[in-house]
Amino acid sequence: MTEVVVPIGPHHPALKEPVNFKVVADGETIVRLELDVSYNHRGIEKAAEQRDFVRVVPLLERVCGICSHSHTTVFVKGIEEAMKVQIPPRAQYIRTIVAELERIHSHLLWFGVAAHEIGFNTLFMWTWRDREAVQDMLEEMTGNRVNYGINEVGGVRRDLTPEQIQAALKRLPHLEDRIAKYRDMVNKEATMMIRFRGVGKLSKDDILKLGAVGPTARASGVDYDIRKDDPYIAYADVPWQVITDTHGDVYGRTLVRIGELQQSLQIVRYCLENLPAGPIKITTPRAAPRGEILSRYEAPRGELVHFIRTNNTDKVERLDIRTPTLANWTSVAVSLVHQNLADIPVIVAAIDPCLSCTSRITIVNERGKKTGEMTWDELSAHGREFYRKRGRA
Amino acid sequence: MSELLKVEQVAKAMEGLGTVDAMKPNRIRVATTPAKVKEAVQRALKDLKCDHVVQIAAVDNGKSFELIYNLTGPHHTVVSILLELPRDKPEVPTASDLLPPAGLYERQIHDLLGIVFVGHPNLKRIILNEDWPENEFPMRKDWKPNPNTFYGGVHTEEAK
Repeated sequence: MTEVVVPIGPHHPALKEPVNFKVVADGETIVRLELDVSYNHRGIEKAAEQRDFVRVVPLLERVCGICSHSHTTVFVKGIEEAMKVQIPPRAQYIRTIVAELERIHSHLLWFGVAAHEIGFNTLFMWTWRDREAVQDMLEEMTGNRVNYGINEVGGVRRDLTPEQIQAALKRLPHLEDRIAKYRDMVNKEATMMIRFRGVGKLSKDDILKLGAVGPTARASGVDYDIRKDDPYIAYADVPWQVITDTHGDVYGRTLVRIGELQQSLQIVRYCLENLPAGPIKITTPRAAPRGEILSRYEAPRGELVHFIRTNNTDKVERLDIRTPTLANWTSVAVSLVHQNLADIPVIVAAIDPCLSCTSRITIVNERGKKTGEMTWDELSAHGREFYRKRGRA
Repeated sequence: MSELLKVEQVAKAMEGLGTVDAMKPNRIRVATTPAKVKEAVQRALKDLKCDHVVQIAAVDNGKSFELIYNLTGPHHTVVSILLELPRDKPEVPTASDLLPPAGLYERQIHDLLGIVFVGHPNLKRIILNEDWPENEFPMRKDWKPNPNTFYGGVHTEEAK
């Protein structure tokens, strides 16, 4: 059959950031993939050079609408390291609680999106309802549902009252119960078994060669997790485990994320029950001495890195951000090769990309005989139909 | 979990390539030159068992450009390979053949700072919008937006 170029992107409301793929397909099989991630470049790194440390934190909170706490924590912990200051333990625990709640709502969001892409909309409704409970917890603690505004250089901006801690602890059993149910479901539910197993497979060697991070890497048996490898905030004090899996496919990535949900709930419970007393912030100097910090953080999607240069002023000389999604693209491009066109939505969704995808797909026959257009929804529908037919045959 | 790398180990592996110093117990920096960077990356992969590229950081320090290849591995130590590039001829051999994920990172650096990675198979625009003018590199310290240049988006009366 003739090779066909399928441009996908750049806009789709279900995912978070715009990206454009040019998928070269031979019939139903994918041959090659090129990508363009330019659509959401807002010059944040340049803007960060113009603002002092107080003003740059709210800016970085807006790098991403899901990992908003990740971007501020990685930055403030880098600046605190450059200033050589230690923040109080209570502040570290509060940062950890928010970070893990963020991971829970992000993984639940991912699980819902993945369920939606395979046409299992009931699960999508369930996970997003449970995610609401997590966002309510975040709202009660920080005052905000998305950009929590809890971090500042030198500590956190809001303390937790005993009533807030009790209210949060009361919400945990329900979530623990729900997540145990999902774990059970993944191993039994036929739709998930058919659509996740063996799809987008990456071996351990592939992962290391292609530099994938986060749950994508851990699902192939690579145990890299910055929370263990280079512990920050309260992770060294809290009992928890790195979750890995050996399936290496979308199914494995689902199992890893569900395992991480359980670990995160355990961390949140521990931090709430053992919250140290004391102040929540310290006064820091205005400026940071000349230095170079490589600040690493385990965001929900994987290793997030802020490279920070300081130069004796109250502004950064350079802030270089490497997001987990950028690190994972190379692996997506490889894991899609030889897969079915029908599997694009679920494989792309499996790395939990921070991208907003397609409103329109143009299918162009390379001979120029035929041009058709397809929306992402139609591609998803094509995926479901493809497997439905195959199931019957 | 294996032990952190020691400065002496790194110094031995990087012999003849440049100076080695520990910035933190788990971060060791090797300062080398553009001509020797591939050799340094190769030795980090082979002799120091690095298997993960954390990031390639690119800095404009006002006088020259700096590239920092941050690599890590099962030893959980970050090996930072630092090199400086002159402003008038910012060229360095690509590392994308040794480190596949570096391909994307190098394209991004090429877009923002105009550093040319010699031998890169596909050094096309990735992070700036498609209507961004050629030869304008926004992350350079001496870059100023020109009021008469069109930087993308919707054409307005004033921009014409």
